[in-house]
Amino acid sequence: MTLSTPDTVLHVEGLGKEYKLYPSPRARLKALLTGRATHRSHWALRDVSFTLHRGQCIGVIGDNGAGKSTLLKLLAGTLQPSTGRLERVGRVTAILELGAGFHPDFSGRDNLYFGGSLIGIPREEMARLEPGIIEFCELGEALDRPVKTYSSGMTVRLAFALVTAVQPDVLIIDEALAVGDQHFQKKCVERITQFRERGCTILFCSHSPYHVRHLCDAALWLDGGLVQQFGETEAVLAAYDVHTRKAEATAQPELPLQAAPVPVSPADAGSACILAVDVADLHDEGDGQPPLLQGQDLAVTITARGRGGERPHIGFMIEQSQGVGITSLATHEDGAAPVRLPDGTWRSVLTFPDLPLHSGSYVISAFLFDETGLAVYDQWFQFRHFRFIYPKPLPGLVRLAHRWE
Amino acid sequence: MSALWTEALALRRARSLAWVLTRRELAQRHQGTALGIVWPYLQPLLTVAAYYLVFDVVFAMRLGEGAPTRAVGAFLVVGALPWMAFCDAVSRGMNSLIDAGGLLQKNPLPPVLFPTRSVLASSLIYGPLMLLVALAYIPAHGLRPAVLALFPLLALQVLMCVLLAYALAILSAALRDVAQLVNFFLSVGIYLSPILFPLSLFPERWRWVLWLNPMTGLVQGYQQVLLAGAWPPASVWWVTLAWIALLAVALGRLVARSRDQLVDWL
Repeated sequence: MTLSTPDTVLHVEGLGKEYKLYPSPRARLKALLTGRATHRSHWALRDVSFTLHRGQCIGVIGDNGAGKSTLLKLLAGTLQPSTGRLERVGRVTAILELGAGFHPDFSGRDNLYFGGSLIGIPREEMARLEPGIIEFCELGEALDRPVKTYSSGMTVRLAFALVTAVQPDVLIIDEALAVGDQHFQKKCVERITQFRERGCTILFCSHSPYHVRHLCDAALWLDGGLVQQFGETEAVLAAYDVHTRKAEATAQPELPLQAAPVPVSPADAGSACILAVDVADLHDEGDGQPPLLQGQDLAVTITARGRGGERPHIGFMIEQSQGVGITSLATHEDGAAPVRLPDGTWRSVLTFPDLPLHSGSYVISAFLFDETGLAVYDQWFQFRHFRFIYPKPLPGLVRLAHRWE
Repeated sequence: MSALWTEALALRRARSLAWVLTRRELAQRHQGTALGIVWPYLQPLLTVAAYYLVFDVVFAMRLGEGAPTRAVGAFLVVGALPWMAFCDAVSRGMNSLIDAGGLLQKNPLPPVLFPTRSVLASSLIYGPLMLLVALAYIPAHGLRPAVLALFPLLALQVLMCVLLAYALAILSAALRDVAQLVNFFLSVGIYLSPILFPLSLFPERWRWVLWLNPMTGLVQGYQQVLLAGAWPPASVWWVTLAWIALLAVALGRLVARSRDQLVDWL
């Protein structure tokens, strides 16, 4: 081990992964027997170098096919690198695909012990951890039934409880925050947060800029298998944002479908969701154009159903109609909270007095978070377009607070 | 050769896991049956019993001069049991990587574990059966120290099976047809060995063909030890060690060439 500082937990240098593409499996066998190269090379990842320290949380972002999953698999050790060096310290746990390796004919308990031995938990330690795992996955008596009788949710719960039973030094997560139902998702997020507080390094791959921004101290942007940028989260996300917009601009700009989510009755006791988003004073002129905002104030009423007695948080975002962000707000960021209505639902009214925008088309999105603001329960993304007319004929987008002297 | 050494070290580091996997493989072979662990043992035992009944009790066939024993059934059992063990270990070991594809793609495990656990599981079934047969044959020649040669012979067979099974597992990961071809060779291989007939009954001109079967040396060794109570001739050891060396070199090459992509092929 030639790690630079004592608190370095992961050091990667010149890491690369080449996929050798053979014209046919026969050519593959021939190459294996003769040692001659007849393949085309595809480099899924090339020359990646970075260092992670204890307690850091890194978000890996990038387009599809940029090499995110390959990088995570290399770090987890399920793929062998073609070039470069990889040094890891301590226990590395990967939440990549949950429940793989369970044998359907064996009972959940049996699979628990077997799965434990695969990730390096010996039998005696597993016996000690078992009660905690059973409590976390909430399988109860089902644990003694064969895994083939489990629903997919139950399998995933067992698998998550198993891999996170021991506090790792490095935790690798591939968009796995969305496992199981909302109740379990929340527990997953809590457990991961707990790991983080105890000093676990987290490497986390997500398409959701919201999660990356909230959880990560640094971000790594991969593009075409190369590290495009690595550093402070905001800077990297901003650069990535510019890149995505450019890519979208070259592609055909397409107005997203305005399929409003199906309304759900508030009495329907079930998962947390957004029930209604009402924008005051919108007038549809029936000419196929988005409705026009009458007046100068934008007032949005967001009604949502929470989970049990928990107070949810509500988020709001306004963008130009092509999806260029203007601002986003959330109750937990502003120290506000939704109000509980007599029927048990939650409501926030968000008002922009004298909406400081210039004339144009805009689109709004609404989000529902849990009380920590980490788990996203529901989102109505870009669900309502509207037009706004600013009486003065000056060009621009936003009217900033200003002063003439 | 360094590739093979790396594999051996990886296996050593994961030896407790290898043991868990072996036990699980054994459990998987009889999962869901009422008799349980008895089944894997019962099948070869019944086959061997059938040989004995048919050839020695019903037909009472006798071998000619130059054979280590006169009874056909007794002769057949000593060769057929290790051959069944060989076929079982090699074919299961060969398929082990493909079967474990999902596991290998999602867990950071050394691939060498899987052919090894298949061969070990087969050894746990056939090893005790071989010892049982050895006990049954003691009255034929009295208890002689040469019977101890059984242990190195068994150990060499296990080693040879691991090397061969791992090499074939890599090849069949590259091209699935390999498994079909090997299964054919395993089913005709018994005719290319001194299992059904003693070596002396084969025409002189064709005897060299038998040495193309890696089990020929070992089978002769077992026959010497169990039927005659004699130490196996030096040729048995040399031929077997030569096969092991050959397989080790070939495996080393295959591992070095496939190391960084093996899991992608599964």
